[in-house]
Amino acid sequence: MTAQALARDDLGALFDALRAEGYRVVGPTLRDDAIVLADLRGPEDLPAGWTVRQGPGTYRVERRDDEALFGFAVGQHSWKGFLFPSRERLVEMRREDGALEHRPAARDAAPLAFLGVRGCDLAAIEVQDRTFMRGRHVDPGYDARRRAAFVVAVDCLEAGDLCFCASMGTGPGVERGFDLRLTELGPRFLVAVGSARGASVAARLPLRAAPAGDERRRRDGLDDARAHMGRTMQADDLPGLLFGNLDHPRWDDVAARCLACANCTLVCPTCFCFSVETVSDLSGTEARRDRAWDSCFTVQHGQIHGATFRPRIKDRYRQWLTHKLGAWVSQFGVSGCTGCGRCIAWCPVGIDLTEEVAAIRATSRPAVAMPPPPAPAPAVREPMVPATARVTAVRRETDDVVTLRIAHEIAFRPGQFHMLGLPAIGEVPISIAGGDGRSVDHTIRAVGAVSGALAALEPGHALGIRGPFGSAWPLEACVGRPVVVVAGGVGLAPLRAALDTMAARPLDYPSVRLLYGARTPADLLFTDDLQRWAADPRFAVRVTVDHAGADWRGDVGVVTRLITDVPPDAVALVCGPEMMMGFSVRALCAAGLPAERAYVSMERNMACAVAHCGRCQLGPYFVCRDGPVFRFDRIARLFDQEGF
Amino acid sequence: MKPRLAVIKLASCDGCQVTLLDLEDELLAIGEALDVAHFTEASSRFDPDGPFDLTLIEGSVSQPRQIPIVRHARAMSKRLVAIGACANTGGLQALRNWANHEEYLSLVYARPEYIETLAESKPVSELVPVDFELNGCPPDRHQLLEVITAFLVGRRPNIRSESVCLECKRAGHVCVHVAYGIPCLGPVTQAGCGALCPGKRRGCYSCFGPRENANTGSLADDLERKGLPPAEVARRFRLIYGWAPPFRAESARREKP
Amino acid sequence: MTDGERTFRVDLMTRVEGEGRFELRVRDGVVERAVLSIYEAPRFFEAFVRGRSIFEVPDIVARICGICPVAYQMSAVRALEEALGLSPTPTLRALRRLFYCGEWISSHALHVFLLHAPDFLGFPGALEMAAAGHRDLVERGLRIKKVGNAILERIGGRAVHPISARVGGFTRLPTPAELGALRDDVARALDEAEIATRWAAGLDFPAFEQDYVFVSLVGDAYPLEWADEFAVSGRGTLPIADFERVCVEAQVPWSNALQARLDDGRTYLTGPLARFAHNAARLHPRAAALAPPAPVRNPHASIVVRCVEIVHALAEALDLIEAYAPEGPAYLEAAPRESTGLGATEAPRGLLYHRYAIGPDGLVREAAIVPPTSQNQARIEQDLIGMAPQLLTMEHERATRLCEQLIRAYDPCISCATHFLTLDIERVTP
Ligand SMILES: Cc1cc2nc3c(=O)[nH]c(=O)nc-3n(C[C@H](O)[C@H](O)[C@H](O)COP(=O)(O)OP(=O)(O)OC[C@H]3O[C@@H](n4cnc5c(N)ncnc54)[C@H](O)[C@@H]3O)c2cc1C
Ligand code: SF4
Ligand code: SF4
Ligand code: SF4
Ligand code: SF4
Repeated sequence: MTAQALARDDLGALFDALRAEGYRVVGPTLRDDAIVLADLRGPEDLPAGWTVRQGPGTYRVERRDDEALFGFAVGQHSWKGFLFPSRERLVEMRREDGALEHRPAARDAAPLAFLGVRGCDLAAIEVQDRTFMRGRHVDPGYDARRRAAFVVAVDCLEAGDLCFCASMGTGPGVERGFDLRLTELGPRFLVAVGSARGASVAARLPLRAAPAGDERRRRDGLDDARAHMGRTMQADDLPGLLFGNLDHPRWDDVAARCLACANCTLVCPTCFCFSVETVSDLSGTEARRDRAWDSCFTVQHGQIHGATFRPRIKDRYRQWLTHKLGAWVSQFGVSGCTGCGRCIAWCPVGIDLTEEVAAIRATSRPAVAMPPPPAPAPAVREPMVPATARVTAVRRETDDVVTLRIAHEIAFRPGQFHMLGLPAIGEVPISIAGGDGRSVDHTIRAVGAVSGALAALEPGHALGIRGPFGSAWPLEACVGRPVVVVAGGVGLAPLRAALDTMAARPLDYPSVRLLYGARTPADLLFTDDLQRWAADPRFAVRVTVDHAGADWRGDVGVVTRLITDVPPDAVALVCGPEMMMGFSVRALCAAGLPAERAYVSMERNMACAVAHCGRCQLGPYFVCRDGPVFRFDRIARLFDQEGF
Repeated sequence: MKPRLAVIKLASCDGCQVTLLDLEDELLAIGEALDVAHFTEASSRFDPDGPFDLTLIEGSVSQPRQIPIVRHARAMSKRLVAIGACANTGGLQALRNWANHEEYLSLVYARPEYIETLAESKPVSELVPVDFELNGCPPDRHQLLEVITAFLVGRRPNIRSESVCLECKRAGHVCVHVAYGIPCLGPVTQAGCGALCPGKRRGCYSCFGPRENANTGSLADDLERKGLPPAEVARRFRLIYGWAPPFRAESARREKP
Repeated sequence: MTDGERTFRVDLMTRVEGEGRFELRVRDGVVERAVLSIYEAPRFFEAFVRGRSIFEVPDIVARICGICPVAYQMSAVRALEEALGLSPTPTLRALRRLFYCGEWISSHALHVFLLHAPDFLGFPGALEMAAAGHRDLVERGLRIKKVGNAILERIGGRAVHPISARVGGFTRLPTPAELGALRDDVARALDEAEIATRWAAGLDFPAFEQDYVFVSLVGDAYPLEWADEFAVSGRGTLPIADFERVCVEAQVPWSNALQARLDDGRTYLTGPLARFAHNAARLHPRAAALAPPAPVRNPHASIVVRCVEIVHALAEALDLIEAYAPEGPAYLEAAPRESTGLGATEAPRGLLYHRYAIGPDGLVREAAIVPPTSQNQARIEQDLIGMAPQLLTMEHERATRLCEQLIRAYDPCISCATHFLTLDIERVTP
């Protein structure tokens, strides 16, 4: 097909054609002395004759010598604002007279035409597609909007002051992924069609054959842009390099400058982290869960009851950079950076990631190996809408721990967890402590608002339940081997179903040693189960407490003291507070167990549990997806690292 | 029985209480969900004695007579929530904390002996522990409603300690600091207002006070790079939340020649 | 019944903004003591603005009062612009007037429906009133109030301590579409305010009239954000520059607020009754149609005048929104220089006067602020004296309530009244 062109004066026809096909047109326009993305009425709303001057922490619009319509680099807004809006209602709930209803919130997925999508930004959309559409769980709102969106891409024949798309392989030209592509060549646009939808819009346009030489002018323009990138960054080796240099002094240096303001992450077109907020009326009858853009620069992002994982600005900057340029590749198979330069311009103090990377590289220690991305899995939709279930029995384990039996027909694997929620109060991850296919057990320690309200439920009460999520204890790998189970406090709960499985399959699990520590005898969970397991000749159960009265006849002291003569072929399953797990694994390894046969269950902040909200990241992993049960050697490096 | 609410005032402009009354759509529902036992600005039926389930306390402690009021409020309240800049860090009137008190009094009043004040305008939390601090001068009314609702339904109030920049970006405002060179305290200020100032094309002046982990030093350096003299940088940190420790320290650093 | 000593006293006045008490002591029919005492903690605003940039002043003075922050901002920018020789464009004047209308609507509606109405209907407060069959009235009041706040929010970002007012104009002008979106709500509130005014006019007011000296701004329009002159009953019209000479503030031992009187020692009244007395002819036709004959000399009936002013402010707001077509910059620029400026506007509670001296460094060197409540304070005390004869024939509790009700009718804003610096005192400072 010969190249086709649209006269600049005919650009209005493109708006008409897009509207005729049912799209609302959004694109760049000059407003409040900046080029923003907003609704466009027609070509007159495009920033004709404007460009921008940018530097670290500065952005100014300026007149051009010509009247180019697309003669500027990307601005503060990106298309993520349309596909992944900064606030979105997810779930609506109604509780009345004991009934509890969960329903997905209405979604705005009116078809949009994105006019003027640059190479870096189209790449960014595809990066976010991997988070929200290509994983095991599909975000229905994003998915609907993305499928409906029409992409009119625009080539960059001039590079911006902060662009480095050429380094990242995302621009300056747009070669695929668009419906239509425009190349601005003075009085006309070279037009390329990239899809059937694009063809149908193109058919409505007064296209003419492009003059000979336009294709070459396009290529020359792109070459020129490539040669004049405002920034460069060598990126291919960054994942291993950054993770190999988590102690580099540069992190302290940048932390002194970084405000932890989160601007870099919110302007970044690929950052996807969000928080989930519970909103309700005064009575709690009507409630909903909304999500809002969040960032690893906020303290809440990395905070759970009793622990703040990234207290220092250093930890947060390092999280951002190592995720963006490193962990992303393990999580999604692609870098999280497209080279658009936004985070450099819109950082109030002008921190430039290309400079930070260069400084680390200059005096770096060797790279480390990174895990590969997970295999594709069948997609589950509406992952955020809970099912309604009812409590059928409550057993008080200790002063502040109860076990709820919940009628819920579901298959799970021991070690997995559910998100349990109460409409006006919130939703939290709780491990599955047992189940028989018709009901599940959850053992909950009342530590805060949500866990406290869950622990106060009574038989007949309704709650929301999502899942099961996450990885399981490696029960198949344990078959035929001695198993050492080390549990601390409520950490026994996630192991209970595994212990029951092993108890029920004597031939597969000839020897199980359970070492269990609690604060006091009154804090011991599952005392019936402990007796039952202890009565099984294959089981050796040892219980220790930190403090005890005179009538206590078991051990006193920390649980690690019980870790002695571990069989060399054993598998160890460890669950408890992070400190306790660290000491336990170290003791197991000292006793001869290889780290790849020790498994731990990790806890991180979770808002979604479906690898979308980004909060439970642990280096290259999502705890909700790749964990909570991890083979210890895979996370050992991060386990000992402060600030992850 | 309905939970009993008290609203108590110390040294303040009344703006926090007005903010409560500005919840026009919810005011009557609040009145139905709670027994408004003590709110003298709104009702002549009042009960200073308590006990109360929820007490909102506005204003800073700046007179000796206010000390027993605060202690009593603490003793009689299940939950004591300090609302506003005054109650949480002394407020704008804490500007006097830098001045010589006696001199100040004689400067303002012809007969200072008639006036009874403490040497400093203090936050409530300097006297008694508070269960929750809702910041802002005035607090955002949606946040105030969230605190009340969260109390009623038993959830943790959804009030974040992040920077204003997050709200600013979520709102889609063009960053005034970057795009116009208007100095903005948003990066070191706690969110909650909805990024009002950038939305009106001005820099944040931190009427919600320091956020968690505020890196005031780096921002102050940047303001000086943008051409503000150190004395002016000091003034910017010494305004409504000037007495909050991170801002107090930063203004002191910049004030030195 | 008129023999011996009787004391009427309330230590914690309710449904007023701020903290005050009053005491009226009568012995053998003679008033011994009539005191409105403001024990609200002093805050030192005139001292706070000294040494600050003039551009910080609107943010600082707003914090004097959470109920009428716009009044403080508008008086301050007026005075500072006068010092710098800036005259705001018609767009800026119109927007300021609209902004100020928002505050009048909101502040008056708060007083009329939530604070004052319970006195006439016999309830301790509006919540109790709503629960006992007057829900419609309270909801109507809240709807009107909300529209006032919506105007404030649209222009100023928020209703309490709005953020967009600056010396020279506003930080950003709203677009016509942004303001236009308020139109229908304002029109509806206007209809409702008319109904409310008729309701207020039908209330039973305790009989009490005094021969007040009314002081208010006067000008071509009903006085709000802009006037160059003020009127004093019996003394005609005077330039604002004479204000501090004619209205003199002094300290009294029983109060943390300074009290103002006329230079001849008489007390005077400022606020809705005074504005109405001097400017009834300048009301918007929709307000004029509902107005009682001017002047109104019974402070208890101020609720009617407040309603009339709500109607006026809503009607003007509607006109201003419909006519809004911004021209010119959001603000005028001028370099601060050594100068002095003064200005007054009409806060919901009355005349609010500011004067600033700017030093050669562009920072404020000196400030004087005279808020309405400190002007009314002496007049309120005199009213208590005037009420004494009728109180003596009443049952004690009812008499005490009536005193409180009278004070409340002034809508005193005690937060505003405390802690201002006088000229005399200023002279002794280094
Ligand atoms: C995979 C997994 C399994 C768990 N299994 C159990 C279990 O079986 N039994 C049990 O008692 N507890 C378990 N927890 C911990 C439990 O989730 C927390 O105790 C609970 O979230 C505390 O919430 P709260 O509102 O009661 O506490 P608060 O202190 O009021 O709030 C803590 C805040 O942190 C947020 N948060 C998010 N994720 C977490 C998290 N992981 N831990 C703590 N806070 C979080 C909460 O939403 C809340 O906003 C598990 C956690 C994880 C990650
Ligand atoms: S990290 Fe910065 S340069 Fe890279 S895509 Fe994000 S905003 Fe653009
Ligand atoms: S964790 Fe990653 S995706 Fe989330 S905000 Fe930080 S850098 Fe962006
Ligand atoms: S790098 Fe810059 S934009 Fe990002 S959090 Fe730090 S200061 Fe803010
Ligand atoms: S305008 Fe201020 S609050 Fe908004 S992003 Fe910029 S620095 Fe942050």
